[in-house]
Amino acid sequence: MLLQDVETKPMCDDSWRSPAEVMRLARMGSAHPTRLSFLRVMLRRMQNEGWTFTRPVWEIDDRGVGRAVYCARGPERTYSLVAFAHDLPEDMRSDRVIATAWDATFALHDGIPSTADLDRLEQNVPLQEAGRVTAKELSLSRANRSVRLFNHVVERLSCGRQPDTDEIESVGYLMRTTAVYGAGKFGAADHETICDRPEFKVPFQAEMLSVWLTRQFTVDIAEHLASCKGGKQAVRFAPEIKARLGVGNSTGLGMAPFIIRHPILLNNWMTAREEALARVRYLNAATPDAVKHLKQAFKNAQINLSQWHSDHPLQVTKLENLKLDFELLKTKISTFPEPGNKPWNDLWCWAQSKLTLEGQEAMLSMLLEPHGKLIDELAERMGADEAASFRIDGAMRIATLRALLESHYNWALETDFTKPENAARFWYVSEEKLEPRLGERALDDGVDREQPLCIARLASEMYDDLSAVSGEQTVAAFLLQHPAHRYIVRRVQAARSFPYAEVRDNLIADDMLPIDLMRCKLAFFGATHFDPRSDKWVRICLFQGAPYPLDPVEEVETVHG
Amino acid sequence: MDKHNPVGDGVPTNFANNSPVLMSRNEIASLCSKAARGAGMNWGLAEEAGHAAAWLAARGLTGPANLAVHFKAAEGQSWQNVCPQVEAGQWQTRTGTPLCPVALGATLSDYALLPGTSFTSNGLKTGPVSCPLLVLPFLASAATAIGNTIKLSWDGGTVGLTTTGEVFGDTGELSATSITQIHIWTEESGAAHTQAASMAPIDPETLDQLSQLAMKTTVPPSDRSREGAGAGTSDND
Repeated sequence: MLLQDVETKPMCDDSWRSPAEVMRLARMGSAHPTRLSFLRVMLRRMQNEGWTFTRPVWEIDDRGVGRAVYCARGPERTYSLVAFAHDLPEDMRSDRVIATAWDATFALHDGIPSTADLDRLEQNVPLQEAGRVTAKELSLSRANRSVRLFNHVVERLSCGRQPDTDEIESVGYLMRTTAVYGAGKFGAADHETICDRPEFKVPFQAEMLSVWLTRQFTVDIAEHLASCKGGKQAVRFAPEIKARLGVGNSTGLGMAPFIIRHPILLNNWMTAREEALARVRYLNAATPDAVKHLKQAFKNAQINLSQWHSDHPLQVTKLENLKLDFELLKTKISTFPEPGNKPWNDLWCWAQSKLTLEGQEAMLSMLLEPHGKLIDELAERMGADEAASFRIDGAMRIATLRALLESHYNWALETDFTKPENAARFWYVSEEKLEPRLGERALDDGVDREQPLCIARLASEMYDDLSAVSGEQTVAAFLLQHPAHRYIVRRVQAARSFPYAEVRDNLIADDMLPIDLMRCKLAFFGATHFDPRSDKWVRICLFQGAPYPLDPVEEVETVHG
Repeated sequence: MDKHNPVGDGVPTNFANNSPVLMSRNEIASLCSKAARGAGMNWGLAEEAGHAAAWLAARGLTGPANLAVHFKAAEGQSWQNVCPQVEAGQWQTRTGTPLCPVALGATLSDYALLPGTSFTSNGLKTGPVSCPLLVLPFLASAATAIGNTIKLSWDGGTVGLTTTGEVFGDTGELSATSITQIHIWTEESGAAHTQAASMAPIDPETLDQLSQLAMKTTVPPSDRSREGAGAGTSDND
């Protein structure tokens, strides 16, 4: 089928997964990166547009302290990662947001920084939240070493030996970022001021660029220290070893509220991915090339699984199930395509009936892989103009608002919030660096300062108050009488146009897992190797297997193409 | 552990030279929303307060400062005391206390497309409004929604909002007005001279006031809360 057929024909409704199926925490917490993930989108753009990369500044001493600049030059603009390397005492190394010092700190600068810019950034970037950047910066971030692997790598390279591959695989990165701030944080440029640039139309592109250049920095500083230590004896990374290193990320609750606070953005991410799946399921043939590509995607997924380690009981179980899923899939894919009108849909329906959630979401990712021409343009729709939907429609009748609640929030209205287990927790913001935290309602202080992330309960409370109101009344009049519902009214009205906006689970239930929210967001970034450290904390890997910016173009792998 | 300054969702804690701070629009919206919540607004209205202050700052106007002044003036007032009573041609509070500009603006916006209530060519008069500059962002979005220019006048001047959501007229005078009755009406869209402006810096006193209010949305740390949010494992691995 030709691409234009897909675009002109109405999409077959039963090719789409419903929000009721997709927007559940258990499934979101099993999300896998896809070719629509933000880092993949960024790498494709840079490759297609022929971006070039340089490292004009490397002022790092033999203790690994100093500064470096990496430039990424595109068709119209240049962006520069300014990196500061520090000598961090071990007792100060913490991935928590409340840390005050790091192994390395970074800012992504809009353009090529002058010496004055570098000096200004040097006064501020190492301080992170306690410093200040300007509208000439697009992100602010920091990273800590994976101490064991970093030391092992430097030791080995300095003696002229390559690192042990088991050691590399057990960690997967030399450094992990512990926060990457963008979009106007700490004085940086507002997203609205740069989102008209083609390279920033898709969400989180500046942050992804910053992390990709950071990956280069992590291998550069390891080679530099090995060289300082071993002198002529030292060697550089073998390319196949280097390719296995990504950048880690360690994240806690700070990330979780984001997708709740940005419902339209979440909707647009989900809709793009779901439309991509629907387009593939709608295809009526599987070309030999696509079949080959699918098999390669499965092979890559198997390699990824073999390198995916976690000690957390929840993830251990999921990984065991995924291995069983892959056993089933191995047989199924070997006979793909089977006779039928919609081979991709048949494969997907089989996966839905046979595989665990983890396996199904991995399958989704594999199904999208061969179909770049069909789906890659959907990434352009993943941004959101949230301001355009901000104004409440006061002219809406209460009958309509009630109907919206009943159709889009039925999952919330069914919950009995008088049962303690359904309101066991509460989200709050700590005084300490404004870190979002999750408290136990019965035990912890701060319930009076609860954040409005208890969407299900807010919807349910409004529904109760609506029962006494005439269906003919307007939302405007209702809000004058019940101003406290203003926050949830805005969300419910948005549900008309943005059906995938709401996580359809109770975010204050006793059994809710914050890592599910984080994994969903991280998968959209393009993260792999999800490794929960608790129910509120997860480590992941980014860019593993991807090319490095400073590698010669001919050496660039196409795993992430 | 030092208490972190909430301005610090952006602004240095050791900020000492007492000069105005240039903040991003996102930071202003975030800080002002938190301050509004800390001042007692409901979450939905607090979002609009942040949005409004940032909209004004992006046009070179003193939205955050006016918001801080309003919070001080309206301290302790309940919604029922500061929200408008919606009646044809004349909106005021139940008791005659000054209208909250955010409550008034939000209600005007809510009623924008309902006939005969808010935006007519005959106009709407209000009782005294606290810090009326803060009404402008709501009128701007209403002007876009109804497809007509909206004008606001008071005894010190006139300001207009275009259908594309831009502002023109005596904005400087309105910024300096702490309380006044206003008159709002619609006009057919015509040419208007709007000026491009750059982000207004925030003065340290405003920053301090808003930060103190924003702090009221946060919970003091405890060992229990600190531990509960972490990984529970060493980061030196």
